[in-house]
Amino acid sequence: MLEVLEALLHSTLEAAPALVFAALGATLSERAGVVSVGVEGMMRAGAFCAAVAALYMPTGLAVLVGMGAGAVMAAVHGYLSLRWRADQVVSGMALNLVALAGGTFVLESLYSPSGTPSITQLRTWSLPGLDAVPLLRALSGHSLLTYLALLLPFALQALLQRTALGLRLRAVGERPHAVATLGLSVLGLRWGAVLGGGLLAGLGGAALSCAVLDRFEQHMPAGLGFMALAAMVFGRWSFRGAAGAALFFAAGNALRIGLASSAPGLLQVVPQGFLLALPYVLTLVLLALRGGKAHAPAALGVPYEQESR
Amino acid sequence: MGERLRAVLPSLLSIALALALGFLAIALTRDLDTALQAYGQMLAGGIGDWGAYLEGGPLTLLTRPWGEAGTKAALLTFTGLSVAVAFRVGLFNIGAQGQMVVGALVAAVVGAQLSLPAFLHLPLALLAAGVAGGLWALLPALLKLRRGVHEVISTIMLNWVAVSLVDNWLVVGPLRASASGELSRSGTDEVLATAELPRLLGSLSRLNLGLPLALLAAALVWLWLLRTRVGYEVRAVGQGAEAARTAGIPVARRVTETMALAGALAGLAGAVLVLGTELKYPSSLGAPYGFDGIAIALLGGSHPGGTAAAALFFGVLRAGGTRMQLLGVHKSFPELIQGLALLLVAGRLAWLTLVRRRSAVTGSAVVASTEVPRA
Repeated sequence: MLEVLEALLHSTLEAAPALVFAALGATLSERAGVVSVGVEGMMRAGAFCAAVAALYMPTGLAVLVGMGAGAVMAAVHGYLSLRWRADQVVSGMALNLVALAGGTFVLESLYSPSGTPSITQLRTWSLPGLDAVPLLRALSGHSLLTYLALLLPFALQALLQRTALGLRLRAVGERPHAVATLGLSVLGLRWGAVLGGGLLAGLGGAALSCAVLDRFEQHMPAGLGFMALAAMVFGRWSFRGAAGAALFFAAGNALRIGLASSAPGLLQVVPQGFLLALPYVLTLVLLALRGGKAHAPAALGVPYEQESR
Repeated sequence: MGERLRAVLPSLLSIALALALGFLAIALTRDLDTALQAYGQMLAGGIGDWGAYLEGGPLTLLTRPWGEAGTKAALLTFTGLSVAVAFRVGLFNIGAQGQMVVGALVAAVVGAQLSLPAFLHLPLALLAAGVAGGLWALLPALLKLRRGVHEVISTIMLNWVAVSLVDNWLVVGPLRASASGELSRSGTDEVLATAELPRLLGSLSRLNLGLPLALLAAALVWLWLLRTRVGYEVRAVGQGAEAARTAGIPVARRVTETMALAGALAGLAGAVLVLGTELKYPSSLGAPYGFDGIAIALLGGSHPGGTAAAALFFGVLRAGGTRMQLLGVHKSFPELIQGLALLLVAGRLAWLTLVRRRSAVTGSAVVASTEVPRA
């Protein structure tokens, strides 16, 4: 029993960073008032570019390239929605479509339709002392991204709640005109949040292709970006909450895979489709129970115009 | 600049620029010659091989491409209308895909399991698919009205629930086609001939009654939305729910009705796919027509006529895209064009500013930047 738990915990921690980073990125952007439906597309760009970069450079550097790719996608989103006040959901969905179709197109012209060649995975670190302890052993033997994913939510939450910058970021998502009255740049703050969100989403994608797997695959990230959005809503737009929800989803996923492989008899009783649908149904039920509306930033999705009040 | 022209200009310019960017993409990844040939193939595949026709070639050189384009356009019109109708009441229906899956499955089951005369069977199968899609779409509407759950999140979740339950359970489990002989087939049982959508061009093309139905649906939605009192109220809710409520419009009711209609239209897209071309629920729907509907609706300016026009255009592009594969251009190419066009149309205000500067029209009011009315 303990061993099963340990294995589940280990696979949760291995797969979680992608979802956690993407959820953090979405939260950062939305706290500043910019909708981040495009996070899936940013993840896809990050995963692809990191995998390609890792063919030519150390994987650690390639992860940075993936982050950059996410930021470039975010810059397109920022340009359209901040500079040209485009509808932010539309711009985000367009990014997703372009990333999906464009990624497939480029992948096929450069490599094979199914994926890139294999790369060296990010190295894993074993934590001395923990290796011998049952259950806690699961904390050891992960890439640095896993440990970063566990620490970053707290760092970001502290930034948001305890620093002047954090106060401004929150304010720009709630009352942009008040921020402008103070002589601060609304667009500047939003640009920063959107680009930061892109970096994080790209990191999430890079975690998929460099840590979870060792290459980019055609259907990556297959809806994880949208799952990250659900985690953000479920975590009520707080960094810790979003990361917590992301970990919960990752655990649910690990449980499903674990159940299917460790107890094949289960699939005789419960069809696989049920297990696949379960996390989504659960999310819907939990969202329905908690309600979502009251916690979104007040100015979310409203393009900022200097002259309007 | 006319009001109407100003409304469609950003879409037209975006599509043109997306086509140019797509050309550049092929020229860069392959070479200029391939790009030229590929676009030639796209025209031939989408609207017919006129050269061969003028030389006295058989009629099929024209009818087959048109038929393929029309078949694809029918699906895109239905899902595009689904998204457009929801936009008008202020909801973003990302769930057209899920509603389509549910509708397709119900159409396949009704089409295969009931035996009725044709004049009853086909309408019943269509109706059942529409109702199923509508019911599936009611869930996010109710979650939004009762619990404040944003429809973008709930429709995305419901897409996955639909796909998981249908593709990974029903179609491979209880509803799987009964094996005939040694061949085990994928998907559900084939629909009976009485439930098939009749083909319009006989054996010349796969074009079926789906396209006229889609165009009829677009006309009816146009009538409803722009010529009836309820349609006016729906648009008022989309422009601002608070103001509409103050004016005595039953907001919750209009939102619910419109979302059900949106789901029904997506469900009909599924029915047209199953009853018109696939003739069963295949192992999976294949293309994400529901997501394409988002691009189509936005390129069409959420107007029923514009949506149908955008669907027809991208139907041609899709049919042509199949031909492009002969040259090794990936089949996702039309989707790339579609995505790029949508990305460019998101910067609608940029186009309008650019055009205004060029045409030196002064004093005209700034066109509102929002494309999606919010509830």
